[in-house]
Amino acid sequence: MHEVAVAQRMVEIALSAADENGGGRIVAARLLLGKLTCVDPETLDFAFGVATRGTLAEGCRLEIVRIPARLRCGSCRSEHERELLEPCPVCGAVGGEVLQGRELRLDAIDLEEAKTSASCVVQSEATGGGG
Amino acid sequence: MTTQVSVERDVLQDNARDAQANRERFARAGIYVLNLMSGPGAGKTTLLERTVGALNPRMRLAVIAGDLETRRDADRIGRHGVPVVQINTGGACHIEAHQIAKAAGQFELSEFKLLIIENVGNLVCPAEFDLGEHDKAMMLSCTEGHDKPAKYPLMFREAQAMVLSKMDLLPHTNFDVDAAIADAKALNPGIEVIKVSAFTGEGLDAWFDWLDSRIKAAQR
Repeated sequence: MHEVAVAQRMVEIALSAADENGGGRIVAARLLLGKLTCVDPETLDFAFGVATRGTLAEGCRLEIVRIPARLRCGSCRSEHERELLEPCPVCGAVGGEVLQGRELRLDAIDLEEAKTSASCVVQSEATGGGG
Repeated sequence: MTTQVSVERDVLQDNARDAQANRERFARAGIYVLNLMSGPGAGKTTLLERTVGALNPRMRLAVIAGDLETRRDADRIGRHGVPVVQINTGGACHIEAHQIAKAAGQFELSEFKLLIIENVGNLVCPAEFDLGEHDKAMMLSCTEGHDKPAKYPLMFREAQAMVLSKMDLLPHTNFDVDAAIADAKALNPGIEVIKVSAFTGEGLDAWFDWLDSRIKAAQR
């Protein structure tokens, strides 16, 4: 259940990124999740929902983008999307260097523009007063 | 109206930073650090009892024992006269680097040559958390089944050694030693395989020799 720890970190990072970008409610977050990570997407989604409670990210939609494993063969150096114990389709060797698939990366968040509606009200009042 | 903000941050970046700080601290103190991992009940604590019992007079060593609850592992190892700090993760399935930083603060690190971290018994989660250790060793007992390296590839891929334990029980199991080694080597061609029985003492010298060689390699 390290998904709870991962979800808590995601919320911390999302909140600080929102803060650095003028604040506001976080309505969506996109996570890049490599298939070689030991993180279960469904458990993470649930844990993320719990971790956002009472924060500006409460109710935030989590989009999890799965990144397949990509290996460079240790024998023939060819690169393919394949599992760790799946043989190289070119030479049949198993294993190799992991090029992709270990990602656990918060890629982007969607912020609600909280100030827009407030400034509209001020503007319309100003317009009303002038007319 | 929403705006998309690019974040592009590794979720475990804080752990990676803490692990790097640990690594630098261990290097300054001249201490070699091993992260010992396995599923629950593979025999980590028993192997550590035998290890500290045998090495303690000639090599200064210390242990950090991680568990969900209780001090039982620390008490068992501490009886052999080495300093042990227990980390209780309070239900979390792994140790994180900041917990090691705090626990290591309770030792005068430069007085020791070897620090062994006994991770929480779990074949999944600890693989994601770098602690700043020099090496990882994976223990697998022959009562667990030889398919574990194939089922939990990340843990075996990142380990420098696979310790096959409870070898005295091998005749009573259908554990296929060759199959377990073949899968581990396919994942990790450089992995050292050490077969031990902490009960009979079989293979313990090979385990001590491996520790010695890794300590020397880290000092170079």
